[in-house]
Amino acid sequence: MQRISISVLSFLLPALILLSCNKLKETPNSIIVASQFYKTQADATAAVNAVYSTLNSDPAADFPIYGRDLNLLTGNGSDDQVYAPSNTNPDVRALGTTTYVAANDRVHKVWQQHYYGISRANVAIDNIPNINFDTTLRSRLVREAKFIRALLYFNIVRFWGDAPLVLHDPTTVDVNSLKTGRTSKDSIYRQIIADLNDATNLPKLYSGGDIGRVTSGAAHALLAKVYVTRRDWTDALTELQQVITTGTFAGTTGTYGYDLFAKFLDVFQQATKNGKEHIFSVQFGTNLGAINSTQSLSSANFSSFNTAVYPGDIPADSTLWKLFDSTDSRRSVTFYTSIYNAATGKTVVYPGAPRFAKFIDYSLSPLTSQGVSGINYPVIRYADVLLLYAETLNEINGAPTGDAYAAINRVRARAGVANLTAGLGQSDFRDSVFLERRKEFIQEGNRWFDLVRRGGTYLYDALKQIPAKTGVALKDTLYPIPQTEIDLVGAKLLTQNPGW
Amino acid sequence: MNLFQRYRKYTSVLLFAIFLTGISSLSVFAQNNNVSLYGRVVDEKTKDPLAGAVVHIKGTTHEVVADQNGEFKFITGQRVPVVYIVSFVGYKTREVPINSYGHADIDLQGGNSVLSDVVVVGYGTQRRSDITGSVASVNKNLLSQPAVSFDNLLQGSVPGVAVTQSSGQPGSTATIRVRGGNSINFGNAPLYVIDGFIIYNNNDYVNTGASTGASVNALSTINPSDIESIEILKDASATAIYGSHGANGVVIITTRRGKKGTDEINYSGYFGTQQVTKKLSLLNASQWASLVNDLNVSTGSAKTFSDSAIAALGAGSDWQNSALRKGNVQNHELSIAGGDDRSKYLISGNYFNQDGTILNTGFKRYSARVNYERNVSSRFKVSTNVFGSQSQENSLFGSAYNSINFSGAYPSLLLTSPVAKIKNADGSYNISSPYSTTPTNPLQDITATTNASKLTRVLGTIAGEYKLLKELTLKVSAGADLINTKQNYYAPSYTTNGYSTSGSASIGSATVVTWLNENTLTYDHAFGNTHFLNVLAGYTTQFEKDEFAVASAQKFPNDLTGYNNLSYAGTAVLSTSNGHSSAINSWLGRITYSYLHKYNLTLSERADGSSKLGANNKWGFFPAIGLSWNVDKEGFFEQVRKTVSNLKLRFTAGQTGNSEVPPYSSLATLTPTNYYFSNTLVTGIAPSQLANPNLKWETTTQYDAGFDLGLFNNRVNLVADAYYKKTSDLLLYVPFPLYTGYASELENVGSVENKGFELGLNTDNLRGSSLSWKSTVVFAVNRNKILSLGQGTSSYFPLAPTGQVSPVIVKVGLPVGTFWGYNTKGLLTADDIAKGVPVLAGVSQQAGDQKYVDYNGDGTVTTADKHDLGSSQPKFTFGFSNTLNYKNFDLSFFFQGSYGNRIFNLLQQKLEVTTTTLNASATLLNRWNASTNPNGTFPKAVNAPVPQVIDRYIEDGSYVKLKNITLGYSFSRGLISKIHAKQIRLYVSAQNPIVWTKYTGYDPEVNFYDNDNTKQGIDYGIYPSNKTFLAGLNVTF
Repeated sequence: MQRISISVLSFLLPALILLSCNKLKETPNSIIVASQFYKTQADATAAVNAVYSTLNSDPAADFPIYGRDLNLLTGNGSDDQVYAPSNTNPDVRALGTTTYVAANDRVHKVWQQHYYGISRANVAIDNIPNINFDTTLRSRLVREAKFIRALLYFNIVRFWGDAPLVLHDPTTVDVNSLKTGRTSKDSIYRQIIADLNDATNLPKLYSGGDIGRVTSGAAHALLAKVYVTRRDWTDALTELQQVITTGTFAGTTGTYGYDLFAKFLDVFQQATKNGKEHIFSVQFGTNLGAINSTQSLSSANFSSFNTAVYPGDIPADSTLWKLFDSTDSRRSVTFYTSIYNAATGKTVVYPGAPRFAKFIDYSLSPLTSQGVSGINYPVIRYADVLLLYAETLNEINGAPTGDAYAAINRVRARAGVANLTAGLGQSDFRDSVFLERRKEFIQEGNRWFDLVRRGGTYLYDALKQIPAKTGVALKDTLYPIPQTEIDLVGAKLLTQNPGW
Repeated sequence: MNLFQRYRKYTSVLLFAIFLTGISSLSVFAQNNNVSLYGRVVDEKTKDPLAGAVVHIKGTTHEVVADQNGEFKFITGQRVPVVYIVSFVGYKTREVPINSYGHADIDLQGGNSVLSDVVVVGYGTQRRSDITGSVASVNKNLLSQPAVSFDNLLQGSVPGVAVTQSSGQPGSTATIRVRGGNSINFGNAPLYVIDGFIIYNNNDYVNTGASTGASVNALSTINPSDIESIEILKDASATAIYGSHGANGVVIITTRRGKKGTDEINYSGYFGTQQVTKKLSLLNASQWASLVNDLNVSTGSAKTFSDSAIAALGAGSDWQNSALRKGNVQNHELSIAGGDDRSKYLISGNYFNQDGTILNTGFKRYSARVNYERNVSSRFKVSTNVFGSQSQENSLFGSAYNSINFSGAYPSLLLTSPVAKIKNADGSYNISSPYSTTPTNPLQDITATTNASKLTRVLGTIAGEYKLLKELTLKVSAGADLINTKQNYYAPSYTTNGYSTSGSASIGSATVVTWLNENTLTYDHAFGNTHFLNVLAGYTTQFEKDEFAVASAQKFPNDLTGYNNLSYAGTAVLSTSNGHSSAINSWLGRITYSYLHKYNLTLSERADGSSKLGANNKWGFFPAIGLSWNVDKEGFFEQVRKTVSNLKLRFTAGQTGNSEVPPYSSLATLTPTNYYFSNTLVTGIAPSQLANPNLKWETTTQYDAGFDLGLFNNRVNLVADAYYKKTSDLLLYVPFPLYTGYASELENVGSVENKGFELGLNTDNLRGSSLSWKSTVVFAVNRNKILSLGQGTSSYFPLAPTGQVSPVIVKVGLPVGTFWGYNTKGLLTADDIAKGVPVLAGVSQQAGDQKYVDYNGDGTVTTADKHDLGSSQPKFTFGFSNTLNYKNFDLSFFFQGSYGNRIFNLLQQKLEVTTTTLNASATLLNRWNASTNPNGTFPKAVNAPVPQVIDRYIEDGSYVKLKNITLGYSFSRGLISKIHAKQIRLYVSAQNPIVWTKYTGYDPEVNFYDNDNTKQGIDYGIYPSNKTFLAGLNVTF
């Protein structure tokens, strides 16, 4: 008996001691925590890659900014497109019919996506200078982040006007101090210009695995677009001259070798990604390292060979299609009325109005609902630079110069359209440039911005022409600050835009 | 020492006796002349022997167990007079004075012995009369119902326990709430304690993400027929001993074990057939063709179908019916159990197989259990419970239950146009429907897609109990729960999901290991016969580790290997893996004191340290106090004793906690993202979560007052409780201004209250010698209300699926799970339009369109007119069960119901979005049309209208179900003794044969979002529920 008790105790007590030492401090090995990070060159690169990734993906697995959500504001909000019958999202429909309200979920989402990207850029800009590694690379990485921050603020200031200007990572500060009001448009533009000026020190080009990063050319081109939007024509011209290839126009000094593709279709092909016309594009890809992108404009363009099934977006009305000459190669790239189905060997003809086609990835086989697509989204390309150049020369000189004509005609010639009527006055030429921009950049995130920067009632008048958009009001030249933000921060601090 | 020497002598005699028993026959043993104290224990009424009854000589340590014939004998020198204390589970314990040597016939009274019963509570047992807290036992009769998983058996069993099946999928999850939900975001399910092993059921542990569709229920791995009893601890006095896990109630499960003195072999089995309880009314082909024509007219296009074409279409294809079948269900169980003076054992094996009522779905389980305990010596006892099972669930594919997107194999089928043929003339599937986006067939998708989960679970504990002193026991136990899951998914290239990818395969694996070590010291002593003291102190530590991996691939040259060999694939999809570990250390203590079994006090506490919480708040302390007064033991009670046989008053108060956040919730974590440069993938790393070192427990403070009342010699027993619970420091995602780059941070803010009352009534309606009838009624009311959501937030909308408007709101002053939408008032008339009644802003509204109510009266209908459309929480729930015995027949039936809960019929909303490609609900037949149906009540046909959350889809989910009705026949003992059987019972049973409800969907028990507390009661085309008819057999040898 005694023996048993001793053996029992000798069994129980060690068990007690052995098993009772679980630690409560968490040391995760499946997820990185902040204290472990921002220590090496690789960390710095990964932090900046994360900034880029905010352009082609959403943290909550929603649609990405570039490649879908931005277009809901710049496309559906403009006279280019409405919603398709298959799109039952009331918030998307409201944007297409200019009946949206401050609580619109898509406006809220686009706002969130922009600030999400800005926050990632702030994190990189704050942390990378404290990491000890090659100073050239270190400056480059910070400047890439600054370019993306500037790009996103440029969209914000155009969509919403005055807006909160956040330039640092908020993790280190008190939550209550995060509540802030709106900074004036001019201050935000100053920050955009400062960031972009810094970004002009980036490399001119990249090789190998870095192709697709921000270049100094992209910084100059975007800076030019900022100045054009600001109607700062002199500075715009200086920047444009930096981008436009030396010798093609008077005063141009660009050494980047940018040029138009011979074929308009090549702007939107997997095979010709990051080509000579692409100054900065958001990168998408299929089957790269076993992961697919979610270029969702492709599914907004094409969802089925079944002709009864609608894709996500359709043109606002038939006038858009009718703008194009039948010789205009942009028409067949921008729209489709039929698609070849390799699986059946038949061409499927879609009755009714033409549908959008730019972002259909024809390289995929089988060509199906286009849930995946590897077509890059051009943020700024050479045709944009040429048209901005034509516009700037027309504004500076009070009338179109020869170079202004040459610039717009280069874009037209590539499309297979005759030269613009000679001898136009400043106003007519301006109209021609904007019409050219409309035809060139359908679904490329320009139309709403162009309508608004013309000023006055230009947007209002254009949208009034569309039967579905007769509810347009003058307040629509700015999007409403998302209602949830105002609810959180307070209407006194974060004021709403006029009319909303 | 003296005592031990006596014990030793006694033990050796006993061992010798056992040895003798082994080699000689029982009759030889019985003739032993040394036996002077012996007798027989029988049932008072039936006079059947009570094998396993325990006879104890009062004031001594002598105790024997009655054998198969109910006979017992003492081999002892004890002198008369003595007093036997005779006890047996389910019978009233009796004290029998014995004044002379020799045989004594003792009969025990069965039935209403619950008051002196011993009840399993946390870390021990307690006399029911001494209990202060609210502890309810599940009626044994309900436990014998056929079920895949035991959580389904709790439905309607105990007042205050609400169970909702997520769907009719075999092996599906259930949502269980004890006294309402306390938390908004995390952990509302009760804690399970299976033979002492603590399990917080986490269905995410068996869902890797490789398979799709509704979540698999981790509890389905456990064989319900192994369960002997279930106790549910509801108030703080009972649950505080489980501290941070106790806030949502505790379900204590004890599995079967052998009885002393018998070896019983038992077979039980049933076989049955099931079918869906209901089908939805959808449009047939010609009806749908007319609808398409109307849509064409509304968009100004040409009509698709000519009148003659419509007539020729007829009924068309019934897609809904095409996937349904009658499924078989069968269960077989074989066990052997028994014991002797020192050991008890049970060995059981089980096979369960249920074919789903939808093709290519079902659930299968094999399981085995060994329970064993042995008194190694009078001081030392060891025991082990080991359980293992393997199960496979073949489920319908679709979007994951917690995904923000909708897709489902079954809704897709319902939405398929009836004009499209299901099969071609040659019997092959028709893949050329003019209405589908890909050349595939939704029925073929269901039959051809592999979507399986294979679960292996081993749950084992070993425990040693050692009496350090007579009153002081040390118990050390160690246990492990191992869950291994493998999920397989393959969508062949000819299915919708595999078409664009040329075959899509995914495999997932999850391994979860939980270790638990518990060490308790119990001091149990009675001071005289007046003071009864039991003190428990303990330290426990639990460690959990999970590991997940998912690999997927696409583009298979053919569909021969499927998920079995991903290397045949042409395209890899990024594989993922994940793992977490967490630990909880706890100090626990409890003092129970009773004075004369009249005045009882329970003080309990648990201090829990959880790794998952913030560095500054790892530890929480959860105390409780309970008082009870057995009024019936007072002298003054004698006058009323004839009517009121028992009365006990109970008062308790205490705090419990909840910390069911995922591991690493308090840390500043970074998340990987992807980008591409030069067509090459690169990884980005960015912050995703803000650190909150102050993250702590949700604390639930609960007050409970109740009474137990027994009337007419306890033929009527009523248990009533009223409670109030307030949960504060809720774990909420506090929204941040989005311009900070963060959407929210997990903080402890806000509070929720639950209050209600519960009644449990047991009545012995008839107690005749041949006819008896017992009933149980349970009834519970719970009111849930959000008191606060933190500073500056009064409401928010939980995440809605992309493109959908959230149908629910989380709002201060309303219950969690409140639906939020528009009221409607018929259709707009031309008159209305002329008068300019308020119409929906931003949409062109004309005569024949839905008329919305301008709730705030501002002249237009905007989102500001949305308001509270009721809650998914019932006003009350109830259960009513009955058992009748007539001679050899037994009949039981069980009703269960819920009143006042609302359901958002999302499927109906979807079926009423009219398009030119998808089928629609038959409600569309009564659509308004200016010329042909001007009195129609359904809005006119519009192509792809925006679906709104309106009162029409927020349906009354009240229901009464006849959950089970069983008729059994037990053969007379005399008849079956010839084949040496002790019991043979045959029965037929029906489950869910009748459902009374106004709900128009498949089943008012529905939870598309499973355990997500903010999105309860949403129905999006769940697996239809079924009714079962079965016949069964129980044989005991």
